[in-house]
Formats: sequence, C-alpha cells, structure tokens
Amino acid sequence: MSDGVSGVVAYERPAAGAMASAPDAGTPLLEVRDLTTWFPIRRGILSRTAGFVKAVDGVSFDIQPGKTLGLVGESGCGKTTVGRTILRLIPPTGGSVRYKGEDFFAFQGRQLRQIRRQMQIVFQDPVSSLNPRMTVGNIIGEPLEVHGIARGTAKNEMVGALLARVGLDPSYASRYPHEFSGGQRQRIGIARALALSPDFIVCDEPVSALDVSIQSQILNLLDDLQKERGIAYLFIAHNLAVVEHFSDEVAVMYLGRIVEKAAARELYRNPKHPYTVALLSAVPEPNPRPKKRRIVLPGEVPSPSNPPTGCAFHPRCPLTRQKAAESSDADTIQIQTAGHVARVMCKCVQESPPLETKQGAPGHVAACWFTQ
Amino acid sequence: MPLPLLQVSNLNVGFETNRGLLRPVRDVSFSIYPGQTVALVGESGCGKSVTSLSILRLIPEPPGKVLGGQVLFEGRDLLKLHERDMRSVRGKDIAMIFQEPMTSLNPVYTIGDQIVEAVTLHQGVSQDQAYRIAEEALHDVGIADPHRRLSEYPHQMSGGMRQRVMIAMALSCRPKLLIADEPTTALDVTIQAQILELLRKLQRDRGMSILLITHDLGVVAENADVVNVMYASRIVEVATVEDLFDKPQHPYTEGLFRSVPKLGHEAERLLTISGTVPNPAKFPAGCKFHPRCPRTRELAGPRGAEEVVTVRAAEETAKVMKVCAQDEPLLHEVQSQHWAACHFAENYPKAPTTVPQLDHRRQVIAEVIDASGDIPLGTPVMQEIIE
Repeated sequence: MSDGVSGVVAYERPAAGAMASAPDAGTPLLEVRDLTTWFPIRRGILSRTAGFVKAVDGVSFDIQPGKTLGLVGESGCGKTTVGRTILRLIPPTGGSVRYKGEDFFAFQGRQLRQIRRQMQIVFQDPVSSLNPRMTVGNIIGEPLEVHGIARGTAKNEMVGALLARVGLDPSYASRYPHEFSGGQRQRIGIARALALSPDFIVCDEPVSALDVSIQSQILNLLDDLQKERGIAYLFIAHNLAVVEHFSDEVAVMYLGRIVEKAAARELYRNPKHPYTVALLSAVPEPNPRPKKRRIVLPGEVPSPSNPPTGCAFHPRCPLTRQKAAESSDADTIQIQTAGHVARVMCKCVQESPPLETKQGAPGHVAACWFTQ
Repeated sequence: MPLPLLQVSNLNVGFETNRGLLRPVRDVSFSIYPGQTVALVGESGCGKSVTSLSILRLIPEPPGKVLGGQVLFEGRDLLKLHERDMRSVRGKDIAMIFQEPMTSLNPVYTIGDQIVEAVTLHQGVSQDQAYRIAEEALHDVGIADPHRRLSEYPHQMSGGMRQRVMIAMALSCRPKLLIADEPTTALDVTIQAQILELLRKLQRDRGMSILLITHDLGVVAENADVVNVMYASRIVEVATVEDLFDKPQHPYTEGLFRSVPKLGHEAERLLTISGTVPNPAKFPAGCKFHPRCPRTRELAGPRGAEEVVTVRAAEETAKVMKVCAQDEPLLHEVQSQHWAACHFAENYPKAPTTVPQLDHRRQVIAEVIDASGDIPLGTPVMQEIIE
C-alpha cells in the first residue's frame, strides 16, 4: 500500500529515505535566528500603539532534515506563534529563518509559493481546520491543483493513495468532514499536509484534541511518515510525555523565550532550568505510588504584554527563593507575587540570563543565573 | 463496616432521538465512602459525564430519561425525591465542578453575587454573613485579596483563577460529596498541579468525598482511591487504584495503559488500540469492545471455525471469539476485590458476580513542595540542578 503511494507522490524527491538516514550532516534544514513576533496593543480613537505583546522574543534553533524538534510550554508562552511565524502565516517582527541555507523571509511571489510546498502545517483542531463544504477528495486534492502537480484522474489517484497511506479507505474521498471521527479527521489533515511531499511539517498540538486511545495511532502514523519520507517536524505540544516520546531535541519556552534546550533524553533526565524541573515534576505519572516530589509553582504565566523584569520566571521560581535563603540580605530582595511574599535574588530581578551551555551533554543550553 | 455515602445501583439512562433510544449508561453501579476519592475513567462518549449528571438529576428531560436504578445518598434515593427536595441536595450536600468554569459562572454577575446567592439559598443566613462566608471561601481556595475579588466579574480572571472561584462556590456550602468532571483538563500542567493539590487539601480538612471524572490516567493514578473504568456505557473494570495499575484485568484498561507515553520511559513505538471509540447510536452487539480487542483476536487465531466469527472493525476485518461478539460480559469478581467484565479475564466463568464495594484508601500520596513563599534552608527543592 505504502509502496504505491511513494511511487505516485514522491515525484521530486526519490531520495527521501536517504535523507532520513543521514542526520546531523551538512546544513540544517531550517535555521531560525533571533525570531521575534510582537503584536501591537492599540488604544484610543486614533489606534495609537500603546505597547507590544512580545509573543515571541528572540528565539533561535536549528532543525536537521528528518528530525523532530519538540517545543513545549504552557498556554501563552508563544510556542504556536513560533510555528506560524516560521511559515510566514504571521508576519515576523524580526530575526531570520533560513531554509536549506536560503533566506526564507526574503522570498516573494512565485519563489515563495514554490518553497511553501515544502513546508506544511497540521493543526490541533481537526474540526475547524477542514472546510465543511468541501469533500475530503477536494480538501486533499486542492493543493495538487493549485501547484499544478496533477488534475483529473491523476489527481484522484494521488488522493486515493494519500488516503490509503494515512489509514483511510480511498473511497472516503467523496465524503464530507462531518462524517468522520476526530482521529479520522486528523488523518485527513495529515494527508492534506503530505499532498505536496513536504520536507518540513509544523505539527501544532496534533493529538491534544483526541481521545487517549486515538492519540497513539496518530503519533505512530507521524513517526512512520518521518522514517519513510525523511520529513522534519516542529512538534508543538504541552504534553511533556508525548513530546519526550516523539522528539529528538526539545526546547522549553517560557514567556516568548526558550529557557532550555537539549536532546530529548538529556532534557528529561538532567533538566537544568528550574522551570523545566517544576514542569516535569508537575506531570502526573500513571503510577499509583508516585515517587517524585511535586513542586507546586505559585501563580500563573504572566502576561507577555507586561513581562517581569530580569528573568521572566523569577516571580514563580523556587530556585531563586532557595538561593535567597542561603544568601546575605544585600543580595536579595523581597517581592510580592500571587498573594505571597517571597525573598528572591536581586540578580534575577535585575538582569535577564542568557541562554548558555550548562554542564551535561553537548548542546544542552539553559537560561538561568544559578544552575551549573 | 461503614455505609457508603453514595451508592449507585444499576443506573440506566436513555436519550430519545430520531434514531431511536440511545443508551449511554447501562447497569452502572458503584459506591463512594466518606472521605474517599472514586474515579470514573473513560474516553469521550463512554457515559461518564451522563452518569454524574444523572446523580444530580441534571440531564435534560426529555429527551433524556433515567430508565431504572437507584442513587442512594445517605440512604435516600435521589431519583425518587421531589424536585423541591432535590434542589436542597444540589449545591448543599452534593456540589459539582466542571472542566470549563464559564459553564457554571454567570458572566454578568460579580463573583461575590454568585457565591452569596448559593450561600443565602442553602444556609439561610443574612446578606452580610453570606458575604463573609464568600470571602472565606475564596480565601480557602488560595485567592489573594479575596475582598477585592468579590466585586470582580469572571472575565477579569485567568483560567486557573476561575477554576478556583468555581471550586470556592461549590464548596461554600460544605458539601459532603464533590463531583469533579474533568476539573483540570483545560488547564496547564503547573496550574493543574495547584488545583489538584488544593482539592486534596480541602478533602483532608473537611473529610469530603470526591467523584473524579477524567480521562487522564496520571490524574487518576495520583489522586484516586478506587477506580471504575467505563467503556461504551458500562463499567468494565473496578479495583483499588493500586490493583488496577499493577494488574489490569480488562483488555481495554490494559490497552489504555500501554498506549500512553510515560515520562522517562523509552519506547520505540507506542502500542495502540485499533479503531475508534464507538458512537452510542452504533454500539456493537456482544462485548462492546470486541471489534477493537486484541485479546479476543489473539485467542481466536488458533481456534476452530465453530468458535470464531469474522467482524469488520474500523478499516480492517478481524477474527474474534464468537462469545465476545454475541454475549455481553458482566462484571465478575475475577480476583479478590477486583472486578472485570471480560469473558477471557482469568477465572471469569467461575468468578462470583458480587456488587463492587471497596472502602479503600490509597497507600501513597505524592509529596508536595509549595514554592509560593520563602523556601527554608535545607528544603530539597532544586538539589539536582545546583548539585
């Protein structure tokens, strides 16, 4: 079944398998540097710009061909905006994205359309991301027509092959989205993303709207497609266990910035940033005799329109509180947060820590003044 | 032996639709003892929410209808109560919180007005006293500056804060039973941890019972004393939280456990349950899990033609045991204090069909470190990252 598909669809990249087996070699597929996305806050009758919501504020990472970068964080941390800005679905405020070494943000017109074929997205909500008035065949076939790849019978054959590849019966092409369950709709969304043989897909919370027993089916499908076609993923999710399972490398975001990044196993075994430690400790384990200590952070993620000074995490940070307990009064300051009073380190309130290499596996970076 | 606070027996609920009578809840029985947390776990459409709404008689009638059964709360059958008496049970003896706090908060009234309304209705106190009780309720759920918050509207608060307000409102009349329907599903992990810890603390302080409805196995494992697993309108497995996770007996429970990625576990590939959760309008005959069940397929493999049938399931056909496709299994006590509804659970044919009753409390409660205020010297919070 899958052989038939790659025969039809892999019209321009027959060597997809070869790419998957050559990781880390040569240039990254995607190089994101200092990406910023600010949304203006407008006030008054003249819509004067009164400030900015710094949804993404200086994010950098690479994605290698055929590999997965997981992006985790709580709601409002900017992870979705990163995914959409990279694809230019939201205009960037600053920074650059290089795709196969070329400046993607500089592309215009025909050239942009050409390159967009290679970069696709799968959305969280399989209901709102499929047009209810189009048949499944038209939803999946439209990109093939728009990009002039196939029409008529050839298109229908390709649609059938794509449906078969994502585990649906090719005869479903004539049905409408409402006739399908959530898991099946997500498969349709994946088939649409695959239609143009992309080598990069942004997966924005692809399984969080699905039932537990369906999630693993979709994750396995995405995994198989990556192995088969050498697709690179930016995998955005808030479920840490899913991200660990699915990613080669993981970046943790907090309030528009990456606070820690490392190889997936390294990050989970040896977290360096206090936010990552607290986040991992907060995930309930499916174990009736929980072993880990749960750190309950105070308060909530602050608003990105008015972020805290210094390290944005300091109002909730257990580490700076612990350091403050050991330090002289001159180095500490009392703050009020979420209805509590706490003593924290002055440095954390005054200066923003850089993302720098920490002890541990190579490439393990974290932004914290007090971790080694 | 103490009596259960709530005992649900053979609850059956139907919905009249133009496709005929749907039965999202069938023969559901479980009990909750004072101070206990009992979980009802299952995926969408399994009937767990309809069950909880039926306890409070909140299903819309028509089209909904309780077809039979008993809901004994402190010895009284709630299904037989007069609507007027039922109103004094709702909110006072039994309170409910939901996944989405805006379903129970009115956007055009202040938080204070809404809590005070519930308090004056159930406790017959003066307006002033009611405001004091409301303020205390907000304080108890960890809301800073409760006096100011009373005059705010729901939209002025974040999701986690609204969840706390809803809990404060539900608990303002000191209910004996709290029904929590997916209380943390819409929340971020760090806020989820706050809310679950809050519920544990309130339960400890007040000896309240909780019916926890969720699909999250982690939340169940860390909070429940006793677990009921629901699939397609029926409870298919009942056990203490320890027994259920140590040795699940029903293939659906087993499948759920295996298909969830676990932190720190390396698995090349997730095991899956094939197919999808069935729609109540199209429940299969026999055991409702048979079209997806790996156990019956494995058993059917070497058996002769008279014992097996071929069924069409999802995108494939599969050979399954005839008995699974024809007879619906009931809950049997397949091990001591452990019930499962599967023809091929160990001992199933010989096991007794006792009514599940488990007055059990979990053995281990997760250790929690509160990082809100100062952290005293020597607290092992962040040892691993500073060495």
